[in-house]
Amino acid sequence: MRAFRGIPGEMTVDFGKGDSMVIYGDNGTGKSTIADALEWYFTGGIDFLSHEGRQHAVSYVGGERGEATSVEVFTNGSLGGKIVIPDERSVETFQAIRRETFLLRGRTLADFINKTKTEKWKSLVEILGLEAIENLREDLQRARNELRKLSKAGDEEVRSYRRALGSGSDDVSDDMVLGSLQQICTMLGVDPPQTLDQAIDPSWLTAAAGASAAVSKGSDRERLLAEIKTLSPPAFDRRAVEAWNELVSSDRAKLLPRASLVREAKRLFETGSTDKGRCPLCGQKVDDTSLAQRIERALADVMAASRDLESVRDSVAQLADDLEAAHDLRRSIHTRGSAMELELPPVPDLPHVVLSNSVEALAPVTVDAIASAVSDLRKWDRSAGTIAGKASSAEPGSRDTQLVMLAALCQQVNAWRVAEKKAARAHRALALAERVFDAYQSRQKDDLTELLKQISLRVAKIYATLHPGENLDAVSVEPWTAKGIELAIEFHGSRQRPPHGVLSESHLNSLAIALFLAMAESFNEQIGFLLLDDVINSFDVEHRGRLAEILADEFSEWQIIVLTHDQPFFEHLSRRAPSWRRLEFTSWSHASGPRTTQYETTDILRDAHERLDRGDTHDAAARARRALEELLQEVCEALWAPLPFRRGQANDKREIGELLKGLRRTLKERAKPQLESLEPLLKNLEADVGAALNVAVHASRARPGGSEVRSALERIAVLDDTWTCPECRTRVWHRGTPDAGRCKCGQSSFPPVRLLTGR
Amino acid sequence: MHRPSAQEFLQALLETLDDLPTEFARRFEEILKKDEADRSQALRQLFEDLAGD
Repeated sequence: MRAFRGIPGEMTVDFGKGDSMVIYGDNGTGKSTIADALEWYFTGGIDFLSHEGRQHAVSYVGGERGEATSVEVFTNGSLGGKIVIPDERSVETFQAIRRETFLLRGRTLADFINKTKTEKWKSLVEILGLEAIENLREDLQRARNELRKLSKAGDEEVRSYRRALGSGSDDVSDDMVLGSLQQICTMLGVDPPQTLDQAIDPSWLTAAAGASAAVSKGSDRERLLAEIKTLSPPAFDRRAVEAWNELVSSDRAKLLPRASLVREAKRLFETGSTDKGRCPLCGQKVDDTSLAQRIERALADVMAASRDLESVRDSVAQLADDLEAAHDLRRSIHTRGSAMELELPPVPDLPHVVLSNSVEALAPVTVDAIASAVSDLRKWDRSAGTIAGKASSAEPGSRDTQLVMLAALCQQVNAWRVAEKKAARAHRALALAERVFDAYQSRQKDDLTELLKQISLRVAKIYATLHPGENLDAVSVEPWTAKGIELAIEFHGSRQRPPHGVLSESHLNSLAIALFLAMAESFNEQIGFLLLDDVINSFDVEHRGRLAEILADEFSEWQIIVLTHDQPFFEHLSRRAPSWRRLEFTSWSHASGPRTTQYETTDILRDAHERLDRGDTHDAAARARRALEELLQEVCEALWAPLPFRRGQANDKREIGELLKGLRRTLKERAKPQLESLEPLLKNLEADVGAALNVAVHASRARPGGSEVRSALERIAVLDDTWTCPECRTRVWHRGTPDAGRCKCGQSSFPPVRLLTGR
Repeated sequence: MHRPSAQEFLQALLETLDDLPTEFARRFEEILKKDEADRSQALRQLFEDLAGD
């Protein structure tokens, strides 16, 4: 850990090869920094510092200039590495690790227990790594809900069409709608559809409309009305009639009756059928020539009159015919109209008979009477036309309305059918979605229930070990709803779920520890260590002892790191688990950070060399001085060097001179030859402390150079190596006592064997 | 303790829904690979498609 949390420089904690460790320290000595470092390394954050305005405290606050915050973790697997601020790891980096359970802190001990059922579910789903399954379940649920809405909307649409077809009532059957269609078709005179499917066929509607039009055009009524509309009185040429009257009233008209006689006379005369010299008409004796001329003249006059007559008679005769035809037609229309309940006015009498007789008799006619008759006829036509117009205008409108009604009804039926199909499809889709969702959720619940069952067994066992004979057993984690879980416990015969009402705070904390250990045991795949930071605060001595036993006995395969400020628990756990490493945090200062019983000479020396390489002679000298202090403290402690008693943290602040004095005294008593061989080195180091490693001197003009500091560092390293086995690199007091210590491999010892032999 | 992946879970689920068309299983597995933002819509479409006309 470098420039991290409460560590201004660098601090190394040696866990060996995955050894368990119990770490003791009073409040504020910095022991939780270890938990912070591991939490930051493995999760990318420190929960306690995740709130706004706290994140900066991941780095050492007020740290040395330019010091980068970093945490380096060494593991026997692939999880090790070094993280430097700014931490550029993505969220995905931690996805797998977040499923692992490895850290339990006193301050958040009961967090899981105090969560709601749904929160517990979500936490467990995350711990179990079932987010992907849960996310898919949520997507399925969203799809199901959307289909539910769609299905409901479809039903509502169908209902609205049914209401429209049922005139407000949605109790509509196919037969009822078919009945309505048939009624309209009957009015239109077309064949009704046999089924609603036929009615919604566009080709049927087109055919029905066509048939309706054909029926309408071909009806007598239609024809009659159309006929009436086309009526007009015969043309009346007053001048022609007046010309007739003038002609037949003139003298020339009197010739006309003779015309046949004259023609007969001419025929007889020309055929010689008459006696010569006699009139063929009267038989009187006449000159043939004269007779012939007279006949010719008479004939010419007659012919001229006849031509004049012809020229006017045709018009009048035509008028007589036209009037007669007009009269007959209107009488016919009247008769047919009456049959069709068409109320037409009486047809006026017309003078066509009189007119015909007059033509025959070459008699004049009354012009005004004819004009009046034509006028009456026109009035009748207009009146009949109006009636026919009304009748015909109503008639096609009714048909159109019926056609529109038919089309609208067919359209509604079609829309109803489409809506029904749509709703039916939505129902099918919903049924399918619900089936799949239910199956999914059921399986998910079954799977989780099985997992919970297994966890529950382990939780119950750990809890029972923590609280034997308390009649609080059958602890379990149970599914509560489809998306909720809850803790439960048998409390003197009653099932308590959640157990908060019947358990004390320490019992709930025990439950949390049991759950933590069981989940880690059940689900951890990558992380093989568990870190418990001040979790026993609410436990009494007896329960602390039981927890120590569980950790030492049942989790011996795990690397357990226990942080505590409770010295009896620290001592108890150290005795109960002698193979565990021990580390004591003794003090913390802003300048040098935490001090522990773990000596860090090697690390401090390396740091000093790095600073020297960077040209920072002043800092390198300070670190070298600190390394010498650290080394002398370690040797004095290991060899039980006689030093004056100091109380509390002052013990950590002994001067180098005092420590060297203690070392010399103990070497003089137990390893005098070694003291003699070391004395030149110790004297040089004393000189270094007054010069090259004197920080105050570094501020003066005659400050020592880098080479002098480097030489001092080499001398410290030589002294450090004096106490280290060259074979196994452990200290010469690794085993045994200060009177007879040896390294791990046994090759090196204190007092040194060689020197002893040479004595 | 084995924690099933979403793929394994889905596979086991589909085996219990073996009366559904094979098309359903194939498309459901494809949907699992989609971005989560698109999945609920894709699932809805799948159910609607299988509901037929």
